Amino acid sequence: MTKKQGGRPRAHSIGSVFKYLAINIVAVLWLIPVYAMIINGFKGDLAVTSTPVLVPPTSPTLSPYQAVISALTRPIFNSLIVAVLGSIIATVLGSMGAYFFYSLSTSWRKTLTVLSDAGFAVIAMGTFIPYQSTIIPLTKLIVSLNALDTYVGLILAMLVFYVPTAALLMSIFFAVVPKSVVEAARIDSASELKILFRVVLPLALPGFISTFIFVLIQTWNNFFIPLVLTTTPNMRLVPVAIQAYTGGYGTLYNESFAVAVLGSLVPLVIFVFLGRYFIRGLMALGAGKGV
Amino acid sequence: MTKISVVNVDKTFRKRGKEVHALRGVNLEIGDTESFGILGPSGAGKTTLMRIIAGLEVPTRGEVYFDEELVSADGAIVVPPQERNIGMVFQTWALYPNMTAYDNIAFPLRNTKQKAGDIARRVEEVAEKLEIGHILDRRPSEISGGQQQRVALARALVKSPSVLLLDEPFSNLDAKVRDSARALVRKIQRDLRITTVLVSHDPADIFANSERVGVVFDGRLVQVGPPSEVYNSPVSIGVAKLIGDINDFECVSEGNTLRYGGFTLPLDRNMSGKVVVGIRPENLRVGRGPNEEADWVFLGKAVVQVSSYMGGVYKILVSTPDHQDETLALISERPYQVGEEVNVYARKGGIMVFP
Repeated sequence: MTKKQGGRPRAHSIGSVFKYLAINIVAVLWLIPVYAMIINGFKGDLAVTSTPVLVPPTSPTLSPYQAVISALTRPIFNSLIVAVLGSIIATVLGSMGAYFFYSLSTSWRKTLTVLSDAGFAVIAMGTFIPYQSTIIPLTKLIVSLNALDTYVGLILAMLVFYVPTAALLMSIFFAVVPKSVVEAARIDSASELKILFRVVLPLALPGFISTFIFVLIQTWNNFFIPLVLTTTPNMRLVPVAIQAYTGGYGTLYNESFAVAVLGSLVPLVIFVFLGRYFIRGLMALGAGKGV
Repeated sequence: MTKISVVNVDKTFRKRGKEVHALRGVNLEIGDTESFGILGPSGAGKTTLMRIIAGLEVPTRGEVYFDEELVSADGAIVVPPQERNIGMVFQTWALYPNMTAYDNIAFPLRNTKQKAGDIARRVEEVAEKLEIGHILDRRPSEISGGQQQRVALARALVKSPSVLLLDEPFSNLDAKVRDSARALVRKIQRDLRITTVLVSHDPADIFANSERVGVVFDGRLVQVGPPSEVYNSPVSIGVAKLIGDINDFECVSEGNTLRYGGFTLPLDRNMSGKVVVGIRPENLRVGRGPNEEADWVFLGKAVVQVSSYMGGVYKILVSTPDHQDETLALISERPYQVGEEVNVYARKGGIMVFP
């Protein structure tokens, strides 16, 4: 961004040098914990306590990984089922909810638009409630459904919190879908469900995938819900399993770090494969992109 | 196949807490199989009027009838758009970008649960009529603007609607394709005998397609009639300017003459006070010698200020030597030199006067 047209290209390059410098500093700050997590996972039991955290291991070893891998396969499997299924269901239901409010808000009936605004405000407020404060009634609900310590119970509990989040996000993405396309589909006698799945969602696909990734990372990282709603080690999810390595009498730091690396691999892989949609979804909003 | 009646329709929007009157007391009857145009400057309310006919907007007051059936009433949509049997082409065409042209056209038929064989036959029939049979497997992003418009038209026509609504259908086409698109729409409308409503700000669209035109200004329907009648006898200078090029100026009338920039304009009646005058360029003529034709009257001597070539004809601006800012524009088949002295004539009956 040159400040003066045609003049002083040097000012331009100094500006970008500072910009890149700032970006790099932020990136380094962000990467330090990741770096620490990776190198300390390769340290032996003695080395991890005797060398500073940021100093790489002199004789790297895979023993921490070997020690934790078998204990972690079950939690990773559990987390995959709960997070992936939960996120898909939350994003689909959230999209349906968002479309419901979109339809209401574009209705010619004034009462419906008011209802839409009110309902949407309630949902938006709901997403601000810290889920820890509702955990006791939620646990009671899951127990009464006979779903404590089951996948169904965990997914249900996740849905309670992440369907509104997905609805909120999807309604932002639906707002940029051209209104005329929806109207055309209505004139063409398409049912509301068909308009959503054949017209609106395909147009908001990058947004749908962004929402899915966001919800997936949230559910994958959620610690409190699986801590309370699982009772047997077999049903543990990854965040709870990682926490189990931090004992009351002592912590095996190298194994904790190895577990943390393994636990973050799945969301990382998903992000790598779907990340460009995440960016595209965000760009669609920024540019106010039409068709 | 359907007569449309718009009765006393008002439409108000609330914009930033302010009431905006988009339509005021619109009464309109569009005959069965008629091709009707709605002309107006942008923001006049013409698209709102079409959307009320379509059922996409609700009238604040007033009623809309399709034949004798009430479809919209005061603040309510009685028959929703999907049950009005309308086909609509949107200004942006509103094609489904994730579907091929074929699927776009077949979409309305699939929603009515017809047999696959019948759908294929019908889509191909319409595609052939609109000459888009060869692009049916492509997506909207892979075809040209003109083809997209045809796909949108095909989608609107495929369900054999009784009313066809066209919202500025030609404004997104480049000039070359526009003429053929206009001709195509007119041909389809004539062949299929569908009641058609076309909204446009461009009089050329209306002249090419509409048997009658309604002019909307500031939410009011100010004139309805055949396009040529509106062109030749507009009710106001605003309508006159909207529907074609015109020289317009204010002047003071004295008895049965008007004076403007050194020209003397005869009137066919006595008037007094300030008036607005409009003369279409084709009702003015310049010449080097005298003009003996009976229906042309002499306005005065003038000097050519600008003469520009416009492909076959010349656009000429003239003024009297003493009033160089008060010019008249006209079309001439012959070139004139700038600074050349000419006689200016106007066609009798070609001088429009608005009080």
